[in-house]
Amino acid sequence: MKARMQNSSSSALLKQEFLKKWINGLQTYTNTKKEMTILDRKNAIKLSADIAIASTRNFSTNWSRAVMADVSKNVDGSSKIVTEKILGRKETCIIKCSKNIMRKSRLLAHRKRAIRRTIGRTSVKAASAIAKELVKKRTRVLKRLVPGGKQMNEICLIKETLDYIASLQVQVDVMRNIANAADQCLDSTERSLL
Amino acid sequence: MSSRRSRSRQSSGASRISDDQIADLVSRLQQLIPEIRNRRSDKVSASKVLQETCNYIRSLHREVDDLSDRLSELLESTDSDSAQAAIIRSLLM
Repeated sequence: MKARMQNSSSSALLKQEFLKKWINGLQTYTNTKKEMTILDRKNAIKLSADIAIASTRNFSTNWSRAVMADVSKNVDGSSKIVTEKILGRKETCIIKCSKNIMRKSRLLAHRKRAIRRTIGRTSVKAASAIAKELVKKRTRVLKRLVPGGKQMNEICLIKETLDYIASLQVQVDVMRNIANAADQCLDSTERSLL
Repeated sequence: MSSRRSRSRQSSGASRISDDQIADLVSRLQQLIPEIRNRRSDKVSASKVLQETCNYIRSLHREVDDLSDRLSELLESTDSDSAQAAIIRSLLM
């Protein structure tokens, strides 16, 4: 019971942090681009949300660093400004450093894989071999879904997945609450105008 | 012959440590995924957990996408100067 209460208060804090950063990003975006199509707006909403949720992790996890590395790769002028606004100059430098970190971890993973291949494989029974194949297959899919997953070993991947899923849940909860609240607002004002 | 046996014992010893770690992490994943958590059976295979994890992450991605669509349409419809626009904007700003 105590653990659950602690969990709910920490997740409430997370939600507040995410909401603040998301709205900040949105405001910056709408201030820099006066004319936006619906698609532009949708991408702005999504991008700000992704940056915001990644930054609640303070870039201590691989997936959040990978998200920011992706963002800065596909960056056009306005998203760079959004990123800087949400994170501040200091942390955008961290992103540049994190790109190096990711490159180094990629090289390391390559080297580890090469070493593992040279060690002889032991023989396994048929049933557990099939089970292992299945697990390997699913792990490969998971690696593609979690940002930055391709460079992680199994244990790291599952740890990152746990954190990533928890963060996604926060993101979805907040976005859903805002959308529902906005819907209700519209409904009630429409009704009052009738 | 004996060398092969000792080698297999060594590698199974090392993999036993990481197997326990993995089992612990997998059980934590189980707690997080609503599909599996509500099923109330303790024995879920690792591959099933991984599969449900992937499905869950994909559905969360889709939800974020749908919500972004919904919100962008809401904001679009409040571009005009109206009471609605003011309310929505005060919600989001």
